[in-house]
Amino acid sequence: MELVFLAELAVNGAMTGLLYSLFAIGLVLIYKASSVPNLAQGALTMLGAYVVLAFADGLGMPLWVAIPLAAIVMFGLGFGIERVALRRLAGRPVIMILMMTLGLDIFLRGTTMAIWGATSASMELGVSYEPLFLGDLFISRIHLVGSIVTLVLFGAFMLFFRTRAGIKLKAIADDYTASWSVGISVERGVGLSWALASVVAVAAGVIWGEIQGVDQSLSLLLLKGLAVAVLGGLDSILGAVVAGIILGIIENVGANFLDPLVGGGSRDLIVAAVLILTVMIRPHGLFGRHDIERV
Amino acid sequence: MQEKPEVEPILSMNSVEVLYDNVMLAIKGVSVQVPRGEMIALLGSNGAGKSTTLKAISGLLKTERGRISRGEIRFEGADITEMLAQKRVERGICHVIEGRRVFEHLTPDENLTAAAPGGMSRAALHAEKEKIYAYFPRLAERRNSASGYLSGGEQQMLAIGRALVTQPRLLMLDEPSLGLAPFLVAEIFGIIQKINREEGVSILLVEQNALAALEIVSEGYLIENGRVVMHGTAEALKANSDIQEFYLGGGEGTDFHNVKHYSRRKRWLS
Repeated sequence: MELVFLAELAVNGAMTGLLYSLFAIGLVLIYKASSVPNLAQGALTMLGAYVVLAFADGLGMPLWVAIPLAAIVMFGLGFGIERVALRRLAGRPVIMILMMTLGLDIFLRGTTMAIWGATSASMELGVSYEPLFLGDLFISRIHLVGSIVTLVLFGAFMLFFRTRAGIKLKAIADDYTASWSVGISVERGVGLSWALASVVAVAAGVIWGEIQGVDQSLSLLLLKGLAVAVLGGLDSILGAVVAGIILGIIENVGANFLDPLVGGGSRDLIVAAVLILTVMIRPHGLFGRHDIERV
Repeated sequence: MQEKPEVEPILSMNSVEVLYDNVMLAIKGVSVQVPRGEMIALLGSNGAGKSTTLKAISGLLKTERGRISRGEIRFEGADITEMLAQKRVERGICHVIEGRRVFEHLTPDENLTAAAPGGMSRAALHAEKEKIYAYFPRLAERRNSASGYLSGGEQQMLAIGRALVTQPRLLMLDEPSLGLAPFLVAEIFGIIQKINREEGVSILLVEQNALAALEIVSEGYLIENGRVVMHGTAEALKANSDIQEFYLGGGEGTDFHNVKHYSRRKRWLS
């Protein structure tokens, strides 16, 4: 096995992993405010991609107009979900909220199916499929673009959580009642986290839509996104990024060795193993917070 | 509008009843007045309804599926009985809830930032923080460490400081002395007194530590079984023999061998 080949597997794996991170950031944003993994994040991502296509193909807009417009629509949708589906659940057991996200997932998938049908549409970003050579390494351009988008969003959110609105959101994640007691609008904060996660879903939908086409299978990203979010610690954006890179590398390099042995399909096994081991060995993930206990 | 605004209490709560889950009556017609600029204590034993009374005033009942089923609450003349908790904070009522409840994963500095009202400018927030750190120098030293690791006393100070950022005109404190060493209780009560005098903030204090509370307030209400059973000036309450026996741990020279067993019932409960 050549070292260059191994490096190429690792680098491309890391970039694929960053695309999982892009998805997982949305999960983390919602987990922070609602304390549940959003099972509808896959459906939101798919919807985000369809909305972009509706503006681009349906109304003939260029993508650089369609994508921001879709982001605005999805931002509003996130607030709408809080208002209609989640507000009355505030203060109820989190299992209710989890079930609500499952309901939303089914609802959103059903709705997109009804509107846009089951045939796959393509997202033409205009990124060349010509390989990019970095020294001896062969690199996929669209994955590189996606990685850059992930890192830019990551930076933006790190800055956001230092602003006053971001700090209020962190306070909500800590304690609803204490937040209410000092006049923080928990409802608006939860709505904002859903709105931001929906915007992230547009970004993930566009990149993943370009890679694998826009259809119902986009919603299946949820499983890998969840594995990444859990490994990262569910409430840490930094964790989501680092865990994505790690999982991407393990998956790509591991599958290269295992696939010949088991005859393919080992990628999913590796992801499952990582998820199961994380929960068993380190339940709060790499960077997740655990409850503070003073001694 | 009012003819004599100076005599109108900043808060008046009239015959308020609170129901939890639509069935459990937690307080049964409680009336409490807080005169502007004064410090008032609500005394009583565990489960008497003191915390429920504060939650009825701050609007936090909703989070525990409680609601006001009768009576009304007026703050600075306006009816706030049905108002959202957030609006009450905007109007100037802030409730330091029981058990400190600081934002543990945030630093003290972030805790203060989180409580900033929507329209507060950056400079005003900074000035407000400096003022709070002057009240609580211990917090200033630890302003950038995780609040979950502060000591109990420091967390209580942070909870009070966080409430001050909301610019309250009525500050309600639920058991600020709970679980703290006596010298810390003295320090915190001293600061509460200072806030009352220097900032003119009216204060409604819930305490089980009646002895400490009656030293600093002007009036007290005794609540038992969801009702106000006694109301008077701090001096009158301190002199009352029942209060001495049940809440102040015996009067001067009480010989516990001679306290007759049958008299050791709170007669007003029946």
